[in-house]
Amino acid sequence: MTVVTDVVCPLCGSVCDDIEVEVEENKITKVIKGACAVGKSKLQGHERIKSPMIRVNGVLKECSYDEAIKKAAELLAKARRPLLYGWSSTVCEADKVGIALAEEIGGVVDNTASVCHGPSVLAIQDVGIPCCTLGQIKNRADLVIYWGSNPANAHMNHMKRYSYISKGYFLPGGKKDKKLAVVDVRETSTSKMAELFAQIEPGKDFLLFSAVRAVLMGYEDIVPDEVGGIPKEKIVTLANMIKESRFFITFFGMGVTQSRCRQNNIVNAIQTTRAGHLHTKGAIMPMRGHYNVNGFNQVCTWETGYPFAVDFSRGFAWYNPGETASTDLLGRGECDVALIIASDPASHFPADAVKHLARIPVIIIDPYHNPTTEFADIVIPSAICGIEAEGSVYRMDNVPIRVRKVVNTDYMSDEEIVERILEEVRAIKEKEGE
Amino acid sequence: MQMIKLMVKDDVMSGVAKIPIEVDSLTPDNLFGKNEAEIKAVKVWWGNRQENTGDLFEVSVDGAAGSADEVKIVFEGDLTRVKHIGDGMKAGEIEAHGDVDMHCGAVMEGGRVTVKGNADCWAGREMRGGELVIEGDAADNLCAMYRGEMTGMTGGKVTVGGNAGECVGQYMAGGEIVIKGNADVLAGYAMRGGRIVIEGDAAIPGADMIKGEIIVKGDVEMLPSFKYIGVETIEAETYDKYIGDYAMGEKKAKGTLYVRKK
Amino acid sequence: MVEELRIKNGVVYDPINGVNGERREICIRDGKIVEDVMNPKVIDAEGKVVMPGGVDVHAHIAGGKVNSGRIFRPEDERRGREPKTKVCRSQSGYSVPNTFTTGYRYAKMGYTFVMEPAMPPLLARHTHEEFIDIPILDKAALPLIDNNWMTFDYVKSGDSEKLAAYIAWMIKATKGYGVKLVNPGGTDAWGWAKNQGLNDESEDWGITPAEIIRALAEANEKFEMPHAIHLHQNNLGHPGNFEMTLETYDVTEGVKASKDRSVTHLTHQQFFSYGGTSWKDFESQAKAIAEYVNKNEHVSIDTGTVILGDTTTMTADGPMEYSLYQITGRKWTNCDVELETGAGITPFLYSGKVGVHSIQWTIGLELMLLVKDPWKVALTTDHPNAGPFIGYPIVISTLMSKKRRDEVLSEIHSAVYDKSELPSIDREYDLNEIAIITRAGTAKILGLQEHGKGHLGVGADGDVAIYDISPEERDAGKIQRAFMNTKYTIKGGQIVVKDGEVVAAPEGRTFLVEPIFEDEEIYKEMLSDLETKFRDYYSVTMRNYPVQDAYTPHPYVIKAPMAK
Repeated sequence: MTVVTDVVCPLCGSVCDDIEVEVEENKITKVIKGACAVGKSKLQGHERIKSPMIRVNGVLKECSYDEAIKKAAELLAKARRPLLYGWSSTVCEADKVGIALAEEIGGVVDNTASVCHGPSVLAIQDVGIPCCTLGQIKNRADLVIYWGSNPANAHMNHMKRYSYISKGYFLPGGKKDKKLAVVDVRETSTSKMAELFAQIEPGKDFLLFSAVRAVLMGYEDIVPDEVGGIPKEKIVTLANMIKESRFFITFFGMGVTQSRCRQNNIVNAIQTTRAGHLHTKGAIMPMRGHYNVNGFNQVCTWETGYPFAVDFSRGFAWYNPGETASTDLLGRGECDVALIIASDPASHFPADAVKHLARIPVIIIDPYHNPTTEFADIVIPSAICGIEAEGSVYRMDNVPIRVRKVVNTDYMSDEEIVERILEEVRAIKEKEGE
Repeated sequence: MQMIKLMVKDDVMSGVAKIPIEVDSLTPDNLFGKNEAEIKAVKVWWGNRQENTGDLFEVSVDGAAGSADEVKIVFEGDLTRVKHIGDGMKAGEIEAHGDVDMHCGAVMEGGRVTVKGNADCWAGREMRGGELVIEGDAADNLCAMYRGEMTGMTGGKVTVGGNAGECVGQYMAGGEIVIKGNADVLAGYAMRGGRIVIEGDAAIPGADMIKGEIIVKGDVEMLPSFKYIGVETIEAETYDKYIGDYAMGEKKAKGTLYVRKK
Repeated sequence: MVEELRIKNGVVYDPINGVNGERREICIRDGKIVEDVMNPKVIDAEGKVVMPGGVDVHAHIAGGKVNSGRIFRPEDERRGREPKTKVCRSQSGYSVPNTFTTGYRYAKMGYTFVMEPAMPPLLARHTHEEFIDIPILDKAALPLIDNNWMTFDYVKSGDSEKLAAYIAWMIKATKGYGVKLVNPGGTDAWGWAKNQGLNDESEDWGITPAEIIRALAEANEKFEMPHAIHLHQNNLGHPGNFEMTLETYDVTEGVKASKDRSVTHLTHQQFFSYGGTSWKDFESQAKAIAEYVNKNEHVSIDTGTVILGDTTTMTADGPMEYSLYQITGRKWTNCDVELETGAGITPFLYSGKVGVHSIQWTIGLELMLLVKDPWKVALTTDHPNAGPFIGYPIVISTLMSKKRRDEVLSEIHSAVYDKSELPSIDREYDLNEIAIITRAGTAKILGLQEHGKGHLGVGADGDVAIYDISPEERDAGKIQRAFMNTKYTIKGGQIVVKDGEVVAAPEGRTFLVEPIFEDEEIYKEMLSDLETKFRDYYSVTMRNYPVQDAYTPHPYVIKAPMAK
């Protein structure tokens, strides 16, 4: 038995990196400390896909890696509108190869941001974003606002490590030195801890941001008595909490990005932060889900100029979520082949998108069975990043961390698999060119 | 006057995947002076490959033109996956018989596009001049900016016979948009100039506007950051007048929102 | 790859070796300049200008801040896009191009080395990951060490040995090249939305920016570091800041350099050469700055010359970007980095119609024309802050042609005739001086001449730029075109650009410096202090912090022993 320290958790966007595990016979047998319950379960693993498979006469049949990769390459090379989707629960090294593959086949490459924090990215493109690393919050933020997000359930270590419950240089007393405010459509375990809880009517976030902004800008007088179910008095109290803080941080979740006004709620949230910044120091940050959803956005940006939903059909990068994101393409029935990696669109996409996906040839690369593998035509199992394969990931605050390889495996890594597919595609294209 | 008819071939849209055709090369400016054979050879993008127009469309040419102004292109067939109709056009006329896909009339500078049906998102995106008529509904981002830009439509006129989606005229700086039906959330978002008339209802119009004018004749869900000024009469109708958006600060809040009195 | 190459008949400018426009032959074998070759591929450079590969001393090309600039500017990305080719990946962007494009465009201008001058240590992995994706160029990065709480502690306690131990650790941990300072003290104060002037004492730490600058200069000189401290001082971009600039220059006077170079390299000084009391009476004070540089040996500068047009500004100077955003009202991104530094980004349009921008444009040129010794001044645009690097050929042609300067002056805001010396300056750069401010001098400033850069002597890297221009050419348009797209660019003996097209895109190297701190006891004490910082205040563990070797697949390591 050996103890491995400083293990990085490949689960959520918090990317906790101080985990200790016990390894016995090339298996993680125990998580000693650092991980939350969900992280523990991820680290200890469960039933894997045993072998690559190809669907023959409607039934998945086991095959070799070589056969599966070759077949996948043939499908992709001849496709007219291929989609390469997922990329958030794998490492940046694999993402890079995926982008090169999309470029090679004139496809669209997109990650799970388009169904979670893609709207936040669109908002940043309109107004930018004042943000900071999580340690800055730990050391300085004396007002923490969770808006449409419930870390007590979704990012279990977040408050303890980085925000409300943590202790920092200028806040040695931890939560005694801080205030917590929560805005949400329902009462949550997080809201129960808050000094101020504003229960907003669904779809009214934009209005409430505008009202808080107006107060912060000095026009309390024009704000009506009630906005989105929140009495004016409470709106003014929230604005005053912001003004009186030394450093306030707003964390927002998918409750804001996926409701009415979508990305523009975030545009307004960011502008609210800027309005607060006229009085004090402020920052705002999306609570990102998959551990490397941000990493794909980073890699895709430096390699193509754009963070996700990049369409290479004309040879150069064209970016226009709403048109080029995977849910757009599938919902409109545009794609003729899809490669899915490290994600499960069958569980997370709208029904019409899933219906189209089920109609076209689908290649999936993943360590585990999921509802998408149910109808996939080629299934390629892979090593689990952060446990069996190493590489870069980017935390929700843009801090890059290298996940570790803790145990050995016979599974190929995502990076190797996609690289092999790319090589095969190039070989096919070269042959065609002759 | 020259009439060029382009009818999408049936088999192009009959597969499991409906792959869009991008026709920004098929404008009066570009087709002027070309005979039927030459038009058939003009390249259009279909997915990740370029094809000959003649392979995807039935092409017929009738009459002659002395300039692009005298060229009229008529698109027929299933146009729901035909993108960029009239994108960048400067002169002449385009008529689309049916519902059209995204970016219809985007960046157009002159001429006229008529859509006898609905138009998908980004119709009239960054439009600079000319006229765009959508007889049915317009989807989101009508006459808006491209992502990240701070300028949307700057000139021309757009009329929508039906309803319009989110963010009509986002970052609009000039020109006029008339919506006969309702507008979804955030019409005139971050508007910098120009005029939007909504004859039906509007939800939270004018957010972050710093200039320009929005007139709503139906019901309005108001933002909490607009200041009520008083009553004004426009073309014999009485309107409530608001100034905003005060969320941008008083110095910048120079947009005007008129709401017809019930 | 061609193993041997002979470039014959070219007119060579190799200032480090005293070659000023002479017809010479250049031979390359296995990537290095050699005396002679046996069986080479021959390039006939008859009537053309031959120089060493360009060396950029300061351009923000990679890392978190640059990428945040890309992410929030899709409108910039759609400018300059090109489809992929057999050799090149797809290209996007103007002021914040994608990584591949960065490599191609520099190579087309004849550059083969670029210094990324602002690497937040906590995000160092990001910078190096982007380096891997910037083809052709050799690169290095300067970690930001000046707003760091460890640095503050040691400056406060006056413990110069531990400070030296710490910078040695930090440069190694980040795989960096030297010591970068950006608004020392002020960037940390921005954690409370505040800022600091040179002699303002910090409320939290009880020290002044001047003390930080002096202490880091002294710590840097404890090692035989190839480069001086690289300083973006306090008060950037404000009218009347030239006085604080001159005071800042004095701070490191008397510090003894451990090598033959300046003690302090002051970067993009255009932004620090402002007179007046407000934007209304704004004027150039480039002359005062140039006079100081002319009289003193402990400083070198680069200019940050303005390219008129739209760009993306980005710096670790968080408060400065905030004030710029407040002027323009355009989008603004900020990212404070815990215990270390920060960053701000906002787009900006330098317009010839605006008086202030026009004067700013003159200042970057005045600095180059008024500093007499070209070895002390380097051409930069502080890419992309004063303009994108692809504007260099414009600047070169403007320096070489008084006629072009007069043409531009007559087109931009007339304030330039009252508020700047530029209209009265007659000096025109010759090609030898251009070679100094774009490669020979910059290589010396960075200490790279000992490592094969910036010259064409035997043993140097086979990095060569051949410009399709006669040495006598005075036409600004022709000069600009020639410097935009080389006839040939050769990198490490391989032809990478031919007739302005990228024909090969090999991977570049990363240059790293390893300072060697000798006293193990002091080093251990420093490590113990650092462990406390990680345990209590950082959000990552100390073991996960240093950049792993995987991020520098082609390292070139420069050892920096303690100075004697």
